Order: sequence, then structure tokens, then C-alpha cells
Amino acid sequence: MPAANVAAQVRTSLASLKASDLQDAQIMEVLKLAHQLTDTMKLFFSSLDQSICQEFNYIADYISRTRDEISALRPNDIKTERIPSAGVELEAVVGDTEKATETIMSEAEAVLCEDSTDYDEYRAAVEARMMTIIEACSFQDLAGQRVSKVVNSLRHVESRVARFAEVMGVRDADGFETEQEKAERERNEKNLLNGPALGGPETSQDDIDAMFAESGSVPDLDQNSIDSLFD
Amino acid sequence: MAVEMTMPILVVDDYKTMIRIIRNLLKQIGFENVDEAADGQEAYQKMQENKYGLVISDWNMEPMTGYELLQKVRADESMKATPFIMVTAESKTENVVAAKRAGVNNYIVKPFNAGTLKAKMSAVLGDF
Repeated sequence: MPAANVAAQVRTSLASLKASDLQDAQIMEVLKLAHQLTDTMKLFFSSLDQSICQEFNYIADYISRTRDEISALRPNDIKTERIPSAGVELEAVVGDTEKATETIMSEAEAVLCEDSTDYDEYRAAVEARMMTIIEACSFQDLAGQRVSKVVNSLRHVESRVARFAEVMGVRDADGFETEQEKAERERNEKNLLNGPALGGPETSQDDIDAMFAESGSVPDLDQNSIDSLFD
Repeated sequence: MAVEMTMPILVVDDYKTMIRIIRNLLKQIGFENVDEAADGQEAYQKMQENKYGLVISDWNMEPMTGYELLQKVRADESMKATPFIMVTAESKTENVVAAKRAGVNNYIVKPFNAGTLKAKMSAVLGDF
């Protein structure tokens, strides 16, 4: 029962008591006081009801807005279309690359093993294999197109997630990772698995050679070199 | 001391294509006795069964990395003297320093060519 109704019920009971023609002055005083108290309570409870109602309305609005934003995110499209399609495209890139590499390697090995003593015959054989190698290189065009599709899908997901996070005022949780992610991160750190650097090796072969050319064990690094290890 | 061109060489990489490339490069240089392993664990097992004149290993492999293989090899009396060259795309200074501290004999960053491989092999094994 709402608090305002309770207060109204108490007031009705008090009015009924007063109307019963009581003669005792003290009881009348108590009734008067109780009446004042219920009036105050009514105000208090009605304001309380109103603020709770406003809170619930705000929460309902928020849930509705979140639902709209999640809907705009099109999670089903991302889950059932874009991500699986990106995976299929990348698998196709790996497959195409492997197939082309196999062809190129096989033809190159065949050229190395070509032992015809007749010049024209040798030339014809080498030219035929070179043409096969050139044809196999066409995989790069297909791979480029497939990778572009994947990049577009990732950009699409990135923009939608970023917009959702912005509208919802979402902040990244600290240290949130699954056990598998944690184990993988620890293994990568322990084994210094950084992966290939973008834009060529981070330390050139010449610099590595210089490190191995120095006598003794590991050369001392200056502070800049040490700092660069932590960049 | 002259390098024995028939010595067995163990190539460790999880990419078959890379093993094939290194095999071809070694063949061009004159080494044809080449064995292969797909990761550090398989390589270590093979090294317990056979004696190799040189190990050429990638770094990033599963379950055992080339770095872990190097540490295991250097800690094992029976194979600690085996020459070990790391051939990897891991090019951070910290990787090179860590590998050198662990006892690697030389370090090649991918991509590389036959000339680089031959030069590093000569630096480790002597002229051939």
C-alpha cells in the first residue's frame, strides 16, 4: 500500500475517534497531536513516493535508452555476419597465400633442379616455370581485396562500439581479463613474444651484428638504450 | 678446423614454408643433411636422440618457444656445446640481449637472405 494511503487511513481513523464524542481532555489532546503527526507524515511520505517514482522513471528511461543504443550497435549483425565473415576472409587469405607459396616454391625448386644440357630446351623450361610463378603472384590482388573487407568490418565494429561507449559513458574496467588471456599475457611476457615489428625490424641486422661482434658477453647498454626497452 | 659439409643441421620452425626456405638456402650453401622440428619440444626430443652440428631455430613457437629451447639446450650437459642460431622476426633489443645472455651463438632477423645465413654460419662454425 502506498505511504500516502496509509497516512490517509490513519487520518480517517482519528477523525472517526474524534467524532465519537469523547469527553476526556487528555485523549483529545493526544488525538490532536496524532492528527498533526499524520499530516506531517503525509507530506513526508508523498514527497518520498514522488522521489522514488522519479528514480524509477529515470531508471526506466535509462534502460530504454541503453536498449536503443544496443539495438543501434546491431550486435546480432556483428555476431552473425561481420565477425564470422571477417574470419572466413582471413582464412581464405591464409589459404590463398599458402597455395601461391607452394606453387612458387615448387616451380623455383624445379628451376634449380633443371639440368637440361640443350640451351633452347633449358630456356623454354625455365620460361614456362617463370610464367607459372608470375601467375601465382596474382594471389596478392585477391588477398589485398579480402584484407580490405576485413579492415572495413573491423572499422565498422570499432566505430559502433566507440559510439556506444561514448553515449553510455562507459569506462574501461581495470585488470579485466579471462584466465586464458591472463595465461597468454604471462607466457608472452616470460618468453618476450613481441611479434614482428611494423615497418621492418626494430633492431637492424647491422646493429645485432655489432652486438655479437663485441668481445665478452652482453654489451653494456646506455640509459637511452635501456629506456627504449621500456617504450 | 674445416666445417664438415655433411654435418646434420636441425631447423626448428612452426611454418613449413619457412623450413622449406631454410632447407633450400642451406642446400644452395652446400648443406644437405637437414632435419626439422615444428617447435622447441620436438627439437629438444630430437636433440636427445641425435647429435647435430648446428641448430637454426625460430623464436615464436608453441608449445615450446625457441628461447625456451635455447635455455634447455644450454642447461643440458649432453648438448650445451651445440651451436645455436636464432632466426626470428622478434627484433626488439631486449630479445637480442636475452638470447645472447642465454647463450645463442648468432641472431638473424627475418626476412633474411642466403648471404646473411651463410655469413652467420661462417661466424659460428668457421669458414666453409
